[in-house]
Amino acid sequence: MIPVYELCNVTKRYGDVVAVDELDLTIEAGEFTAIVGPSGSGKTTLLQLLGALDRPTSGEVLFEGDDLARLGEAALTRLRANAIGFVFQQFNLIPTVTAAENIALALAPRGLPREERRERVAELLATVGLEKRGHHVPSKLSGGEQQRVAIARALANEPRVLLADEPTGNLDTRNGDEIVALLQLLAEDRGQTVVLITHDPTVARRAFRVVRMQDGQIVEDEALSRA
Amino acid sequence: MVYLSYMFSELRRRRGRTALTALGLAVGIALVIAVSSLSAGLDQAQAKVLKPLTGVGTDMSVTRPIQVSSTSKGFQSLTPAERAQLRKETGPGQVGFGNLKAGQKFTRTSFQSTELTFASSKTTAVSKLDGVASAVGGLTLNLTTVSGTVPKQTSTGTGTTTGPPSGSSSGGFNGPRSIDFASVSVSGVDPSSTSLGAITSDELQSGTWFTSTTARQAILNVNYATQKNKQVGDTIKLDGKTYTVVGIAKTPVGGSSSDLYVDLAQLQKLAGDTGQINTLYVRATSASGVTTVSKEIAKTIPNASVTTAKSLASQITGTLSTAKSLTSKLGFVLEAVALLSAVMVASLLTLTSVSKRFRELGTLKALGWPQRAIVRQIAGESLLQGLLGGIAGVVLGLLAAGLITEFGPTLKATFDPSSSQTAGQGGGPGFFGAQQQAASTAASETVKLVAHVSPALIVGAVALAILAGLASGAVGALRAARLRPADALRHID
Repeated sequence: MIPVYELCNVTKRYGDVVAVDELDLTIEAGEFTAIVGPSGSGKTTLLQLLGALDRPTSGEVLFEGDDLARLGEAALTRLRANAIGFVFQQFNLIPTVTAAENIALALAPRGLPREERRERVAELLATVGLEKRGHHVPSKLSGGEQQRVAIARALANEPRVLLADEPTGNLDTRNGDEIVALLQLLAEDRGQTVVLITHDPTVARRAFRVVRMQDGQIVEDEALSRA
Repeated sequence: MVYLSYMFSELRRRRGRTALTALGLAVGIALVIAVSSLSAGLDQAQAKVLKPLTGVGTDMSVTRPIQVSSTSKGFQSLTPAERAQLRKETGPGQVGFGNLKAGQKFTRTSFQSTELTFASSKTTAVSKLDGVASAVGGLTLNLTTVSGTVPKQTSTGTGTTTGPPSGSSSGGFNGPRSIDFASVSVSGVDPSSTSLGAITSDELQSGTWFTSTTARQAILNVNYATQKNKQVGDTIKLDGKTYTVVGIAKTPVGGSSSDLYVDLAQLQKLAGDTGQINTLYVRATSASGVTTVSKEIAKTIPNASVTTAKSLASQITGTLSTAKSLTSKLGFVLEAVALLSAVMVASLLTLTSVSKRFRELGTLKALGWPQRAIVRQIAGESLLQGLLGGIAGVVLGLLAAGLITEFGPTLKATFDPSSSQTAGQGGGPGFFGAQQQAASTAASETVKLVAHVSPALIVGAVALAILAGLASGAVGALRAARLRPADALRHID
């Protein structure tokens, strides 16, 4: 079986700054990986490369065998729409529309019939435990609820991989715990491939695998026993 | 649907900004409507003044003015036959005091043509030209009546050498007091042509059009009728013949108005000009063909001068034409400046709004929104804003147009043919007829200004607003399209 990600000798430079330095990394389907490391260690840059948001300066980023550096803008857009789900630290929900509409906006490029889309939105809200909160705008939801809406939105198009950038960074411990538990559940029950960035060791410990970065390189790669 | 609801909620969120942008566009659009309606109103006012000559915008009148000036060859350009005819038609009309004794009463009348006549058969020739819808001949003459008592000393009053009487009214002749000098302008009209000619049936104010070609019937100019205190049914004498007044007409400024209108054939006979006309009224099939047709006519009739509605319009002066040139010049600049600044304000606001939504738009890109969906989103919001501005602009514009109509000034149009008429000074004895006509047609008319807003103008204005909105949206969309999806991952706001 082809790994979801296969990174070979990947370097990403921003001017003189080397954000990711000759990095190799393989992520298999169904893995729940936590990437940890201090600020400026290149975690976010790595996530951007994984998320087809940016291209490496050199090296190969293979997603299911395809080199992302060789794909055109349209192909990358399609990939983001169909294969990759994003969860952000600041939730990045559209503030003007309701939770349900936020999810619907992610479904929009697929052009589903109205009824089908509505059903799918309800289903996704149920997955994250917010069946009754869909009609609220983000500002009427708690931080934890907002992040759950964001996860539902990320799952909207049944992505093969879910990328989360510090998903608990803006949440208190209890809400953070709930979010991590949700991601854990998705990985364990559904076999959802999850890559998350965090600098919270307690969050990282709940993943199946912890990758530690420093100065753009992987300094430690540890598989955790599943409790 | 999702997109639309997103657009609406975006506009709602940035309520103030949306209102400001829409208002900017609205003011621009309102100005466009106000100026355009004003200009349309002025056009209508002018059309009203020039009717019937601009009634359809396709009319011309053909004359052969007597060209006498220091630069032209004058009489030398005429054939001997024409010179003889001219002499006959414009002749001094000798009163012939020599045959009269002092104290004896006398009356002398003579017809004078203000222009060279030509055969009425030219009417047929012209009507066969390409681009000519119809042509009808007319004869406009001045009937001069000199009457009175022979003065004791005849050496001062030959009655033909001194200045012209003013207007078409009687009197004013600075000869001996015992001599009355009256002049009346008469036009011969083809009774079968009710819509083209020196007078048209829709210019009738009261009474009817000619009902017979044999009975002596006359239509009076309303000014002349008032002056002579004549009404429909009254009779009036013309060169000794009695005519029944069948109608009273109001001729527009710019139309060559006569005091009296009678049957063409009757006038020709009366004046001894059988088969001769001096004005040809021509209607072109299309307004665009007028220039070509007028050139063709000039070829058919030698020395002919073709007056088109357009050239008549250029002779309109007074507040109407001042307002017209002002709106056409200043109005366009005003519209352009207002619209441009509205678009600029809208563009700037859209640009700031896009910058503020870096993360939001980046997130949508990260979620797999294609470029065109982002562009459509921004452009759609701007379009809605434009629509909003357009509707508000139409309301404001209608209000402005209403105010213009309510408090609008009364405009005065003065038709001054002296600026183009070539006949005139220095023509020698017997030429005062031409001056006389100039004096009688230099008239003015007042028109109430009504701002005219057509449905097409409203549709156009809204379309303009949407376009302006789209233009501003394009600026923002271009910026949004250049956003990198990686911006979604920025941790700082």
